[in-house]
Amino acid sequence: MSLQKVWAWWVVGLGCYIPANLYPMLETRTLVSSQSDTIVGGAVELARYGNLGVAFIILLASVIIPVGKFLVLAGLAIGVRHGPQISDHRRHLLYEIVEYIGRWSMIDVFVVAILSSLVQLQGLATITPGWASLFFALSVIFTMLAAQSFDSRLIWDTAPDPKKPVAPQDDTSKERAA
Amino acid sequence: MTDTDTPPPEPTLKPAKRPLWDRISIVWIVPFLALAVVIAIAWQSYADRGPLIEIGFDNASGIRAGNTELRFRDVRVGLVEEVTFAEGLGKVLIKARIDKDVAPYVDADAQFWVVRPQVTAQGVSGLGTVLSGVYIEGLWDDQPGETVTRFDGLPDAPLERVGQSGLRLTMRASDGAALTENTPILYRGVQVGRVGKPVISDDGTTSEADAVIFAPHDRLIDSTTRFWDTSGFSLSFGAGGASVNFSSIASLVAGGITFDTMLSGGTPPEPGAQYTVFAEEDAARASVFSGDGAETLTLSALFDGNIAGLAAGAPVELNGLRIGEVTALGGMVDAGDTGDDRVRLSVTLSIRPGRLGLDGADGPEAALDFLRTRVRAGLRARLATASILTGGLKVELIEVEDAAAAELVESADAPPVMPTTESEIADVAATASGVFERINALPVEEVIGEAIALMRNANSLIASDDTRAIPGNVNTLLSEAQALPPRLDATLAELESLIAQINEDALATRLAGLLDEAAEAASGVSTASTGVPDLVARLEGIAANAERVDLDVLAADLSEFLASTGTLLAQDETRALPRQLNETLAEVTLILAQLRDGGVVENTVATLDSARSAADTFAAAGGDLPGLIAEAQAVLARANTTLEGYSASGGLGRDARTALREVEAAASAVASLARAIERNPNSLIRGR
Repeated sequence: MSLQKVWAWWVVGLGCYIPANLYPMLETRTLVSSQSDTIVGGAVELARYGNLGVAFIILLASVIIPVGKFLVLAGLAIGVRHGPQISDHRRHLLYEIVEYIGRWSMIDVFVVAILSSLVQLQGLATITPGWASLFFALSVIFTMLAAQSFDSRLIWDTAPDPKKPVAPQDDTSKERAA
Repeated sequence: MTDTDTPPPEPTLKPAKRPLWDRISIVWIVPFLALAVVIAIAWQSYADRGPLIEIGFDNASGIRAGNTELRFRDVRVGLVEEVTFAEGLGKVLIKARIDKDVAPYVDADAQFWVVRPQVTAQGVSGLGTVLSGVYIEGLWDDQPGETVTRFDGLPDAPLERVGQSGLRLTMRASDGAALTENTPILYRGVQVGRVGKPVISDDGTTSEADAVIFAPHDRLIDSTTRFWDTSGFSLSFGAGGASVNFSSIASLVAGGITFDTMLSGGTPPEPGAQYTVFAEEDAARASVFSGDGAETLTLSALFDGNIAGLAAGAPVELNGLRIGEVTALGGMVDAGDTGDDRVRLSVTLSIRPGRLGLDGADGPEAALDFLRTRVRAGLRARLATASILTGGLKVELIEVEDAAAAELVESADAPPVMPTTESEIADVAATASGVFERINALPVEEVIGEAIALMRNANSLIASDDTRAIPGNVNTLLSEAQALPPRLDATLAELESLIAQINEDALATRLAGLLDEAAEAASGVSTASTGVPDLVARLEGIAANAERVDLDVLAADLSEFLASTGTLLAQDETRALPRQLNETLAEVTLILAQLRDGGVVENTVATLDSARSAADTFAAAGGDLPGLIAEAQAVLARANTTLEGYSASGGLGRDARTALREVEAAASAVASLARAIERNPNSLIRGR
């Protein structure tokens, strides 16, 4: 049941992540122009103007980390079901990282929220959050829920233990997961 | 599960296959819910979206896909989704998604235009679009209709705004009037309509513009309505002063058109009816009767000879009635037509059929028919003097009797040619120059020069202080002279009394007596002696002396006196004279009184008495004639001497004159004293 929860949240989170990348994150409307950028588009724009550092941070926080989370969570869940390819210890470390880093993904959403509430100069300049920010926030929330649903003990349950029979262990793990 | 040894089966040990909803986590609802929501939203947005319409514009200035709105009554009803080119790049195609609920109304009569900020003489419009960006305004009626997806956008906003219906007219500018886009049409100062964008009319002769009269003012228009231009201002000078007239500041800047219905009983116009905009109200009013503004008939005429003075705009008259004007002049050489190769003047005439009293509807044709007939009857064009002063010419249409037969020559590609006849041009220039020469010869300048000199002298005379002082002086003199008569009266009275006294003293009687006695003595003498002639001669001498006495001298003195009086008058003390005269007269009166008192008369009487006693003695002497004669001679000699002395020295008269002069001097002294006192009254008290 634990894995089912993980997969369920994971699917929703991934579903939300797709529009988060397709729709514009920020809509900047000034006196003469209005501009709306998606996450990747904004990063590319910044990189074109030379702000490679900022572009890298945005890419890191908004693309690499969420994608990494999806991959790690999926890997962990598959590992539990089908047997791991890497050591238990390393898998646990990955799980800890995902848990820890999950909350920081919200930093993008915070930036958008702060900007759009501060920059509200009627007519002169307005920043409004785009649809992507909502989907991005949902995506982060769902991936956090997915990470929380994952029982870290399952990592260790899959470890081959010669002293104990496999079947009852399987039962207990299942019950615990339920 | 594989345990089959035990007789009773243990189905309970085998965990029952749990139902699906037990094995599947409840959390799976979330993704499905999310999926359902997404599908629902997608479906709804697909179902709700309206049709995509295409609007063609010349350019897409300011229009941006996904941003520019489509508005109706300033409410957003759609959004531009795409800006592309039409096939062949001839137009910009704006694809806009319009809201589903207004889509049925966007039918074939819908109009679209782009609202941009505009600054014109009428004001600023679309200012909001400076910040918000342009938008596309749509206009359609409130009747749902057939859906159309392809529209052509208007370059400018249409005349009617949303919710305004009105009567559409076509305005045609006459000469001097100008049509300007957005010019308001005013009626009694209220805007009741607008003029659209003017274009050049199809025939290229004027400009035309659509105009709209908004309901309910459209009922003001009928077939006798005339429009005229009220833009600008008029300046007029008259007896009441200068006045500047303009209808409003707005129309001063932006122009304006107003109208009036000239006659009652006009018929309501058809939509799109054509009206002429006149330059002035007068022309507009006149056009009701003259038929101006309708189509004109163009003719041409060929003239020989000197046509200096004819110009475009010169009148064309028929029987003195102006029926048109000259529109163009040009030379023409056509050997084939006229038989020689001289240059002829080709004049283009524009005839207004309305002025001929023909119906305006089929005006030009009717006018042409009319002229054709009349030309056969002898109607010819000729040049005539329009103005004697300027030498300007006009074209007259006149019936010529016994004219050579001629026709109105009509050709396909040129206006009909009117036959012409001899010109009637008065040679005014020579006469006028003669008149001017005569005027030039007039000695105007000398006359004016003398007049100026005269004026100058008179002016200096009038302006001199002396002249100005005269009236005042004369006035004073007269007022003081008024005081004279009483004094004179008094003097005369005194004289009268003196004479009366003399009479009373019986001087005359005594003299008569004396003379009688002298006569007796004389008779005695004549009877007595031979010395009589001598005595007579002496008496004659005495008489002559007596005759000589004084008359001349007195006259001379009198004239001298008058001269001195004149001098006196000329003197500054002239004013004081009457007063002095008064005083003098008073003194004269006094002197006379003194004379009377002093007994001059008595003395005379006494003298005469002694003379009489002497005569008595003489007479008493009787016979002693020679002695008596000698005494008489002596007496007479003495008397003669006395008379001579009197004559020589002027006697009493001169004394009196001297006395008068002294009196006069005294009077002037008193006068100067009076003046001194007048100037300085204090001197009377202080003594200096």
